[in-house]
Amino acid sequence: MVTTQQKLKGYLERIKRKNKKLNIFLELKNEKELLEEAKIIDEKIKNNKAGKLAGKIIAVKANICVKNLNASCASKTLENFKAPYDATVIRKIKKEDGLIIGITNMDEFACGSSGETSAFGACQNPAVLGKIPGGSSSGSAAAVAAGFCDMALGSDTGGSIRNPASHCGVVGIKPTYSSVSRYGLIDLSMSLDQIGPISKDIDSAKLLLEIIKGKDETDSISQEKKRIPKNKIITIGIPDLSNIKIDPKISKLIDDKVQELVNKYKWKLKKIKLNHIDLAVETYYPLVYVEFFSATRRFDGRRYGKKIEQVAGPEVIRRILGGSEITKAEYKGRYYYRALKIKRIIEGEFEKAFKNVDAIIMPTVPRLPHKIGEKISVEKMYGYDALTIPANLAGNCCVSIPAGKINGIPVGIQIMCDKFQDNLMLDIAKKIENV
Amino acid sequence: MDFLWHSVSEKEKEEIKKQAKGIMDSFSRKLEKVEHLAKEEPLIEREKGEREESIKEKTEIDRKIMFENAPEKNEDFIIAEKKEW
Repeated sequence: MVTTQQKLKGYLERIKRKNKKLNIFLELKNEKELLEEAKIIDEKIKNNKAGKLAGKIIAVKANICVKNLNASCASKTLENFKAPYDATVIRKIKKEDGLIIGITNMDEFACGSSGETSAFGACQNPAVLGKIPGGSSSGSAAAVAAGFCDMALGSDTGGSIRNPASHCGVVGIKPTYSSVSRYGLIDLSMSLDQIGPISKDIDSAKLLLEIIKGKDETDSISQEKKRIPKNKIITIGIPDLSNIKIDPKISKLIDDKVQELVNKYKWKLKKIKLNHIDLAVETYYPLVYVEFFSATRRFDGRRYGKKIEQVAGPEVIRRILGGSEITKAEYKGRYYYRALKIKRIIEGEFEKAFKNVDAIIMPTVPRLPHKIGEKISVEKMYGYDALTIPANLAGNCCVSIPAGKINGIPVGIQIMCDKFQDNLMLDIAKKIENV
Repeated sequence: MDFLWHSVSEKEKEEIKKQAKGIMDSFSRKLEKVEHLAKEEPLIEREKGEREESIKEKTEIDRKIMFENAPEKNEDFIIAEKKEW
């Protein structure tokens, strides 16, 4: 059996060889300390006193606080910011003997869907070099895909876990909103943000989710609910996505996959209509602009290093200035409040749908990843998340798992379930993984 | 445009600001068409006693954490540059 120390040495050696080219890790924990920790964990395993994550090597996105490591959010704003405490998810991982190896690259302050907006350089996609890995949890998904760790943590506001999981060919879970504590997460948009796991397979992702979820007094929206699935025969909802522009090759791959699953498991298939799902992007961005503008007011250069407006890149500036503009009193009700109303409508559409189906299946990302540095419009960039945003607006749980490849590029399939039906969702995902 | 990070000049900031407002306007126009379908929902008040916020010891820890990354500080306050507040 491979020990934690042996596994860690293997990962460190691989990272040393490949990280310069892939730009996945922004910071690695001190090697000597890591080996010491691994030794202690191996002792615990030997004495049958180890936690549930013993032997697992875990990477963490740069917007989650790990004590004494640099939670930079891949921004020069927080370039020298050392997290003074552990986020709740990190505390839970450490308690179960998970070994945090380091901090991964990401889009600056999670503002991006491609992994390109990092102030420390774009992260490469290990599955298709030269193409974007997706974002914003680019480094976390790439770390798993590159074989730099067993598991990783990301955060998902509009698809930031599922989008890179899809492009990199790994599993990424966005848990039900409020089911995982956000204490210690540097927020992008507090009404949508959710921390979640990324891994090579469903079982590992499920294990990590089991550990990090649960009510936490330090996150005021945090809650814990258990829901038992009512049906023995699974009914899968296939939404009408005709109003959303999707690459026909991706649609075909997902349609074929669904048919294969239905034939194998005898699941019932039901076509459903989710009204206004095509307005997800238009609903999401006003919410994000405003909440991000509000969240960044603390980066004034007095408490955390540098003033954000002076050192951030263009996408962060776009959201701050846009958020500042549309929150002016003269625009009251025209942007944020209007978007909140449509968010509620979309949430209601999913509530209706989940009365008739157990899960909804669709592609994770509507198009294949572009080349790093390729010129594309803002609207096109925002469109990458057209299929992932709905789960965030509705607060539902959702997972992306690899569905296949098109021209050697990984493509993800998304399984969404109703709020707090994360276990049912993962059971279905496991069946899909087995095909 | 590409989305690679670069530092932003004051001139570019002005352009970005206009562009951002333009995007928000076009998004808002689309949302306006379906806004009438939304139901007015009552405000939900938070239940009292839902969260313990009065632990003194924790406040002291929070203060220590709060000042740990401040570039300039004195014992229990941060120092700001003059004339910029």
